Parts: sequence; C-alpha cells; structure tokens
Amino acid sequence: MGLFSTINTAASGLTAQRLRQDVIANNIANATTTRTTEGGPFRRSRVLLRPRVDQPYWQSPFLPRPLDHGVGKGVRVVEVQKDYDAQVRLVYDPTHPDAIVSGPRAGYVEMPNVDVVTEMVDLISAARSYEANIAVIDGSKTMYQQALQIGS
Amino acid sequence: MFETTNFGKFTDIVHRSMDTNAYRRSVIADNIANADTPEFKRSVVNFETMLGYALSTEKQPRFRTAVTNERHIAFSRSMDYKEVRPRRILDFTNSTKNNGNNVDIEQESVLAMQNQLSYELMIQSMNNSFDRINMVIGG
Repeated sequence: MGLFSTINTAASGLTAQRLRQDVIANNIANATTTRTTEGGPFRRSRVLLRPRVDQPYWQSPFLPRPLDHGVGKGVRVVEVQKDYDAQVRLVYDPTHPDAIVSGPRAGYVEMPNVDVVTEMVDLISAARSYEANIAVIDGSKTMYQQALQIGS
Repeated sequence: MFETTNFGKFTDIVHRSMDTNAYRRSVIADNIANADTPEFKRSVVNFETMLGYALSTEKQPRFRTAVTNERHIAFSRSMDYKEVRPRRILDFTNSTKNNGNNVDIEQESVLAMQNQLSYELMIQSMNNSFDRINMVIGG
C-alpha cells in the first residue's frame, strides 16, 4: 500500500497501451502486404489484455478475506494474437504477382484484413488511455512531493 | 504525548484519511489501467461516511434509548473512529461497454483529481496544525 504501488499500477497501463500502439502501427504499416512467410496475405494482430491480479468476480460487493486478492496491480498483455476471424479483402488486379491464377477467384489478389479506419480508432483509444495513466502518475508524484513537505 | 489532546486526535484522523486517500488512489489507478480490459469491473473505496458516523456517535444522542433487557437494540450504537477501516467494494452491477467493462475513464479521471486535491487539502491542514503548535510552544 502507498503511492509507489499506484505508480507501478499506472506504469503497467502505460506498457500495455504502448504495446497496443506498436501493434496498431505494425497493422497499418502492413495494410497492403500481400505476401508473408506463413503464406497468404498479412493478417492483422490484436492485443489481449487481462488484469494482473486475475480473480473471478463474485457477485457481491463484500468478500470474505480469503477470497479477496487485494487491490489490483494493473493490467498485463496476455497475448498478441493473429486475427483470422476477419475476412481478407479481395481486389481484382490480374497483373499483380500475387494474383490467384486459377479457380473461381482467378485474377483477384488477397489483401490483408486490416481496416485502416478501425486501426485509427483503436490508436486514438490507446493514446487516450495512455494519457489517463500519465495523469495518474503525474498526480501521484505531486502528492508524494507535497507529503514530504509536511511540517517543514 | 498528544493522544488525548485535540491536536493529537486531529492529527490521527487526518493521518487515517491520508492513508485512505493513498489506498483509494491505488484502486483508481487500477481502474484506469484496466480501462480497456474485457470483463473488468471497477472498485470503489468507502471510508468517509463511516468515519463521519463514528465521529457523530461521540456526541450524546438526542434521543436516548432505555435498554433494560440485553435483547433490546439501542437506536444509536456508539462507535470508536479508530475501528473504521476503508472498505473496497466491487461495482459489479452494471457494464457500460460492450465488452463487459464498466470503467468510465472520464469519471475515474475526475475521481483521481478529487483524490489528489483532498490529499493536498489534508497536507495543508496538517501543516497549519503544526504551525499553530509551533507558535504555542514558541518554536
């Protein structure tokens, strides 16, 4: 307990939101990558977040002490996951080197399933969350410095 | 030395409130850090209401209850303010986002600001209290 644990908690939020921004930047940079080592077009990545103290939520405001894991310690990134749920985009371009040569989709190129608008919205959301965590750290720092001035 | 004086009691209460503020700030920081975590539920800390109640029971109750049997229940039960502990409460009843998360980042930011200001207020009043003591003892 204390202000230092507050700073650590907010710092975990900073780490997670920064990683989200990195992943979004990678998605946008690869928005037109049609060839990857695992075959097929680039797939967008997404970040899975969980609380650091990942306890089940009991449907009760008060808990007996053995069931309570204390104040949460912030957030952590569980996994950076490839998104195979969203479908790839098909663009008709027969002269493209990665165009499908035969079958009903001949002449089409599989483009990544990156939607730039979605990525931008996620980017703004991550940036705002980052700022909120920064505000918590700033405030805690001020509080701690003022507490040191008591009695002087 | 000061425990029984007005100054000692004031210092003790402000000390407890500052501890609660630091505790509440770590809860708010956890809420804000988990603002994008699916299925996360926010927590709040309750303290001031119980502290106010405990302090109000130190005065004589306006309406005394005659308790002549051990099974009688008095209207107001006196309570020592030192027994009051901050309680963390899980706000599990609602979810404001589609992913089951109920952290409103604006609300949490405002709570963090209020928390900081009330901490600064307590530091100021603690300093004032020390200044008065210093004046009295001629330091």
